[in-house]
Amino acid sequence: MKQFAILTKKETLQFIRELKIVWLPLAFIFLGITQPVVTYYLPYILEAFGGGQGIIIDSSMKDIAGNEILASTLESQFDQLGVIIIVISMMGVVQSDKANGMLGFILTRPVKVESYISSKIFSNYMFVAGSVALGYVVSYIYTNFLFTSIPFTSLIVALLFYLLWVLFVVSFTTMVSTFFNSQGVIALISIAVLLGIRMIVGLNPLLDRLNPASMSEYAKEALVFADIDMSVVWSVLITLLLSAIVMNFAKMWIANKKYNID
Amino acid sequence: MKLEVKNVTKKFNEKIAVNDFSIAINSGECVGLIGPNGAGKTTLIKIISDIMNPTSGEVLLDGKKISDMKKQIGYLPQYPNFFQWMTATETLFFMGQLSGLDKKELKTSIPKILSKVGLSGEENSRVSTFSGGMKQRLGIAQALLHKPSLILMDEPVSALDPIGRREVLNIIDEIKKDTTILLSSHILGDVEEICERLVIVKNGKKIEDTTMIGLLNRNSQNKIRIELSNDREDWIEHIKNLDYVKDVELTGNKLKVEVENIKVNKRMLLENALKHHVDIVKFEIANDTLEEIFLKMVVEK
Repeated sequence: MKQFAILTKKETLQFIRELKIVWLPLAFIFLGITQPVVTYYLPYILEAFGGGQGIIIDSSMKDIAGNEILASTLESQFDQLGVIIIVISMMGVVQSDKANGMLGFILTRPVKVESYISSKIFSNYMFVAGSVALGYVVSYIYTNFLFTSIPFTSLIVALLFYLLWVLFVVSFTTMVSTFFNSQGVIALISIAVLLGIRMIVGLNPLLDRLNPASMSEYAKEALVFADIDMSVVWSVLITLLLSAIVMNFAKMWIANKKYNID
Repeated sequence: MKLEVKNVTKKFNEKIAVNDFSIAINSGECVGLIGPNGAGKTTLIKIISDIMNPTSGEVLLDGKKISDMKKQIGYLPQYPNFFQWMTATETLFFMGQLSGLDKKELKTSIPKILSKVGLSGEENSRVSTFSGGMKQRLGIAQALLHKPSLILMDEPVSALDPIGRREVLNIIDEIKKDTTILLSSHILGDVEEICERLVIVKNGKKIEDTTMIGLLNRNSQNKIRIELSNDREDWIEHIKNLDYVKDVELTGNKLKVEVENIKVNKRMLLENALKHHVDIVKFEIANDTLEEIFLKMVVEK
């Protein structure tokens, strides 16, 4: 437990020193603003550039409900660029420790591999989840201002579902970062798999139940329909279980000393 | 602390890096692991420090598995590479806390250890601004911080300039008094200064385990090297016929004379030379230098 605290503190210090604490929240705030602002101003922008000829500007565009805007912030911004940003910011999470020998070095000390991996996932998850939540709240503020307000409960429920999906994204990227030694390969595999499983949501109900990406879909539904089937409990449990399995793979990989590069 | 390495073998795919290596090191000993590049020294040290698992064999410290005895080990990698964004003090705090030392203890011991390795004044500089030698010293500091009873050092001086080398050797010489040390090097001269016991490794195998003096004695020959100022063929012909002279090699004005018993015969030969009015420039026992012995052992099959 003590080692976990020391390693977590070190990760936090690293976020500050490497200025990640500034740019990651900013990136998500930017993504959060984009959807409501662009949707709101698009008709004006088109008009101003004189592209209006031949295009019918639907004045009902401005009547879109706030909850739909926030749902598309999650779907079109966070689930695409957002996931890519998370992966890019985390691709070196274990890989850089392997590359400069710090991982082996740390493990010559009486440190459990569990403490190492859990401190990595805990600190990164807290930080990424915080950034995502911040971007979400900013998106909500703009949506509220430019469109309609959203019930508080569906706002929170949707965020909680979405953060479960983020947990899987963080755990999965950490595992891939443990397995591979090149940042490019790590980024490519993580992005391809995560965007891939996000895309197949909705194809097959059974598959959805096993797919952690369906958490993102539930978040959307929580916003749009404000009520969710109770069977979601199973999906939540499966997502938690899959995250735990993925973390365990990373742990085993290191415990079996497969991380040595030379 | 007694370190036992038992029949350790390490294979990388089909390449054997360490081949059935065994060694026992007693408490307080200083052992130098010597071998050319690629002999398997680093792999061996990584196995002993539990960074790598051996393919077969085991490493015991005081009869217990090394993975349970990590508090007792101080490890210095070949190229210590700390977190670039940390300062020297932060690095030592981090490594020290991981070894189970508490903050209070560290607050007093870190400045002490930094001055011991010659880094006082750099406490709050980032590691990214450090030179190779400074990183090496910080590496030594972190290896000593938790007062381990066994210190493993992988090429501690190979990458340093002569001044840094000298300083690091002095530090090691000082800590040698109260710790068991195993260090590796491809330079015999460095090890010769600090370690009594030498283990020579080649192709992952231990080919020699001896002391410095043992190594010199074993390789001493009954040969005398004489350098003359002018050509004295008559005298050379004369000594060839002496009964205690077994062989004479002549190159220019230098000759190498092999005798039966160096202790007795060197005096007789010198007296003989003086009697014949030979003008001697040099008269010495032809010992191989350590470097020559090392080369011979490592290069020859």
